[in-house]
Amino acid sequence: MTWEAIGWYVIGAFGLFIFLSITVMFLTWIERKFLARIQQRMGPMRVGPHGTLQPIADVIKLITKEDILPSWTDKPIYWLAPLAIFIPAIAIWVTIPFSETLVLQNLDLGLLYIAAISVLSVLGLVMAGWGSANKYSMLGGLRAVGQLISYEIPFIMAILGVAILSQSLSLIDIVNDQSAIANIIVQPLGFLIFLAAGLAELGRTPFDIHHAESEVVGGPFVEYSGAHWAIIQLAEYVNTFAIAALIAILFLGGWSWPSMPFTGITNDFLSLVWFLIKIYAVILLIFWIRGTFPRLRIDQLMSFGWKVLVPVSFINIVFTAIIRFYNLHWSILTVISLISIGIIFYLIYKTPQKSRKKDSIRIISAKDAVNNPPKNYGDINVR
Amino acid sequence: MLGSIKGLKVTLSTMMRKPVTAQYPIANKRLDIKKRFMGFPALLWDDSNSEPYCTGCMVCVRECPTQCMTATMADNKKFSEGKSTRKKIIDSFGINLSRCIVCGICVDVCNFDAIEMSHEHELSKFQRNANRANLKSLLAMGKTFQSKIKWEPIQIKNIGNPDLRERLQAAAKAQSEKINANEGKMDGKPEGSSL
Repeated sequence: MTWEAIGWYVIGAFGLFIFLSITVMFLTWIERKFLARIQQRMGPMRVGPHGTLQPIADVIKLITKEDILPSWTDKPIYWLAPLAIFIPAIAIWVTIPFSETLVLQNLDLGLLYIAAISVLSVLGLVMAGWGSANKYSMLGGLRAVGQLISYEIPFIMAILGVAILSQSLSLIDIVNDQSAIANIIVQPLGFLIFLAAGLAELGRTPFDIHHAESEVVGGPFVEYSGAHWAIIQLAEYVNTFAIAALIAILFLGGWSWPSMPFTGITNDFLSLVWFLIKIYAVILLIFWIRGTFPRLRIDQLMSFGWKVLVPVSFINIVFTAIIRFYNLHWSILTVISLISIGIIFYLIYKTPQKSRKKDSIRIISAKDAVNNPPKNYGDINVR
Repeated sequence: MLGSIKGLKVTLSTMMRKPVTAQYPIANKRLDIKKRFMGFPALLWDDSNSEPYCTGCMVCVRECPTQCMTATMADNKKFSEGKSTRKKIIDSFGINLSRCIVCGICVDVCNFDAIEMSHEHELSKFQRNANRANLKSLLAMGKTFQSKIKWEPIQIKNIGNPDLRERLQAAAKAQSEKINANEGKMDGKPEGSSL
């Protein structure tokens, strides 16, 4: 590698970082505005027209704020955790392309790289949870790991389905393969699996179990303040943007579907704009979901992950492989996918909720508890 | 699953509605103050004589539970010139608005209907002593209030309750007869505002 090439990589990485930082500022503004409208509020309105300069004010506030270090913290781990969260978030973007040429480094095993790197940020969450020496943050870190094992398999399986269709792990190849027909039409099931697993990976509602402001008051980030908290938050939004971009690339056809009747620079520019529109559409969908659904419990996420997503993602892979092996028409896969979505929804709809055993919880008055003490206090709520 | 889709529909339809936020300090975007709103007390201005109604009788100062008021009385020059029926007039008046609890007792006890709860309610100021209202500012508050709600002195004939109206009319008549009998030189017409 020549010095010139290294120089270009450094400039490219720097440009990517600047782009992502600005995007994140914009995303925070969009999220606050969007959620506010869902709740019939206005969101930020004071700083700049319609609060557009609010993110800049927030950044200035966060950077100038004091970094508080609780006295019991495990200092090296506490200070390294934001980096351990932030570096994987940025590293994913090395191989995510914006167009055929606008990519820092296209990897032939791009999808594998992404699946491998994106898991690493959970290590940062655990480090933050342990280093803070706080029970809430420790619980949050443990919850993040518990969450990881239930969403990671469907996440990779959904990616695998796309890889089987395109017979490549390179993101640019996958996008070019979809120029005729996007994967969301071929594999609606895979799209839903990837969306659910992606939300769990991001730790966004309804899977924000490790943040859970109402239970563990912000999870691993309870003790962080100032610039370190800003870095963690930056990583969260960079991840959101990355998942949205991955959905746009893997399922919505990136910049190539539907193909545009332009050539040259016009085509390049319009494809980029089209790609960004798709990304922001997915991001708005994610915010919309956040504004709608309540948080799942960790056991609900586990049962959803293992009892629904994992088997369904295997069905998806098996049928995709069969279609691909016998070179059948893609519409057969669409039909199979839709039918299986229907069956799954029907099964979930029909499955009786586990009826609560009425005998297991007896509510007794305090007087009774004193006079006739029950033999077993196990499942009794004293009132 | 159907429930989830319904939920998404609900949030979307809520999003299409207009926000309910009123942006408080911005004019035209804040909520209007209702006519019956009770803000800080202000002194009213008698337009017919171009002087305050207040005679400085100190009733409000004595009755104020937080003792946030001060007042001094002076001889009314206009009375000696024959332009006014008030012998005494307020000379200086002060209310510490930071201490006022907006209870309205001063309004209730006032014998001349000279003090009224205005619409003034904002306490944010740049100086520490800026919430000490003096006679000038209290009269200014009162004038704003009067022009805003189109204030008029209470007329007995306008009182809505018929029983009260008749009783007051009878009392006013008796009083004027008494005054006429005692002091023939005064025409005995009671002040419009003082019942």
